[in-house]
Amino acid sequence: MLRVEELGFAYPEAAPLFSGVSFEVGAGESVALAGRNGAGKSTLFRLLNGLLTPSLGRVFVNGVNTRDVPVHVLARTMGTVFQSPEQQIFEARVSDEVAFGPRHLGLSRTEASRRAAEAIERVGLTQYSSAHPMDLDRAARRFVAIASVLSMKPRVLLLDEPQLGLDFRATQRLEKILADEKAGGVTLVFVSHDMDFVARNADRVLVLGDFRLLAMGSPISVFSDATALQTAGLEIPAALAISTALGLPAVLRSRDLVAAWITRLQKKTSEMSPGS
Amino acid sequence: MALIEVTDLTFAYGAQPAIDSVTLTIEAGERVAILGANGSGKTTLAHWLAGWLPTQESEATRGKVTCRGRAWQDWPLAERASFVQYVGQIPSQQLSGQAFTVRDEIAFGPENLALPEIEVRKRTAECLAACGLEKLAARDPFTLSGGEQQRLVLAAALAMRPQVIVLDEPVTNLDPAGCGDVLQLLASLPASTTVVLLDSFPRVAVEIAERFLFLHNGRVSLDGTAAEVLLHPDAIASLGLPSAAEAAWLARESGAWNPAAPIPFSIEAAIAAFQQVENAAR
Repeated sequence: MLRVEELGFAYPEAAPLFSGVSFEVGAGESVALAGRNGAGKSTLFRLLNGLLTPSLGRVFVNGVNTRDVPVHVLARTMGTVFQSPEQQIFEARVSDEVAFGPRHLGLSRTEASRRAAEAIERVGLTQYSSAHPMDLDRAARRFVAIASVLSMKPRVLLLDEPQLGLDFRATQRLEKILADEKAGGVTLVFVSHDMDFVARNADRVLVLGDFRLLAMGSPISVFSDATALQTAGLEIPAALAISTALGLPAVLRSRDLVAAWITRLQKKTSEMSPGS
Repeated sequence: MALIEVTDLTFAYGAQPAIDSVTLTIEAGERVAILGANGSGKTTLAHWLAGWLPTQESEATRGKVTCRGRAWQDWPLAERASFVQYVGQIPSQQLSGQAFTVRDEIAFGPENLALPEIEVRKRTAECLAACGLEKLAARDPFTLSGGEQQRLVLAAALAMRPQVIVLDEPVTNLDPAGCGDVLQLLASLPASTTVVLLDSFPRVAVEIAERFLFLHNGRVSLDGTAAEVLLHPDAIASLGLPSAAEAAWLARESGAWNPAAPIPFSIEAAIAAFQQVENAAR
């Protein structure tokens, strides 16, 4: 669905950044981009959504080279949720904001409104449909930005730190939306600094450092790569840190950690009382 | 006399109060975390604690806030700004807009106190170093990344040498390494500095605070230690548990945990606690 071939990039009159980066993300797959501030995550993100054109190599979205089509055509297939919702919100009503994309896909006003209402409901903002997005708090504004992309029904969804500023429950709502999109075959690529969030939501992790691809693989394999983690300045998820220190099988989630620990505890207890 | 005293404060932007009948005192040198979900009133309360509220246009519906016994309205601006600093959630909105470089942005506050130039330079250099901004000193603040801007705003606040620092979700934009740096920086503040941290997750708060308040619908509904507040069902429902505590909590719910053993809040404490419970079971 999303294919990056030998990607290289340089800002004007600056040293080359990425070079020879290649990876592919399939339909229904989710990939996290991780790395410290300034590692190149947002630049890679803009190379993926067509806002930046690669200096070398190619990016394909659903088989289309991003060089060959303008950004507004790419946007029919690929939706982007930027880091600051303020940067992508411009209508005065939530419902108009979310209907803006579908209307410009050439859909009828009725169909655009229907899609907007559906997307607004999914993000839990139905009661704020008529509100001005900027009158909402930061978390709600992020959900407006997410809804405005969901209403386009993209095949590829790019999200730059989508969980930023969201509280516990809002994060759960976001994760439900991401899981539903994934189940519907949507390709997800997201940037995140929160490794627990990454562990819960990514099938694969791309670790970036100094505009290089340091590691790529399943969360468990990447989080077990101590060198890459150290270079990239990443933390490992708590459950993995605890399970490793306790000599249990490496796991990413607290409930898996507890299950493995209880199994070992029961085994030890039964060994201690043979015959009983 | 308490340092900051909030008495029966009720404040509304529209019809719905953002802060509802809040009474609390903060003593000098305390490290307090005020935790609450999105929309619980954290930022509004932070503005009151830092003297950004009231303004001439927006006054309390009821109650008041005093600092060292004086209402904020009675504090001259320069005195208040050297006493308390607020670091907000969206750093780009807090840049002065008057400085073309990171260095000048940090110097802006002290310069406005009319401090001698040598003192301004000294403070600027110290804060640049403390916040890891030396390499960015000549950059335009508006071209920095979100994480870098967050460190800059913190540096500019610290350059005022405040007695009280109010931090509204201070590590939201930071990567784990940057987050660790800020925590270290906060830990290195003089013991007399009062730190008030507002956040929607307990993760950072457990690292620096000794007192926890849970804010719900504009009201302070819990006030106590980490265990008293963070393990309360209301707090768990809206804040979640820190990931290190979650595992122990699940083990306790499944009956495998010694009920008398405390729930750990850090990864190190969790490892030790699991080992202890396991050894005791042998």
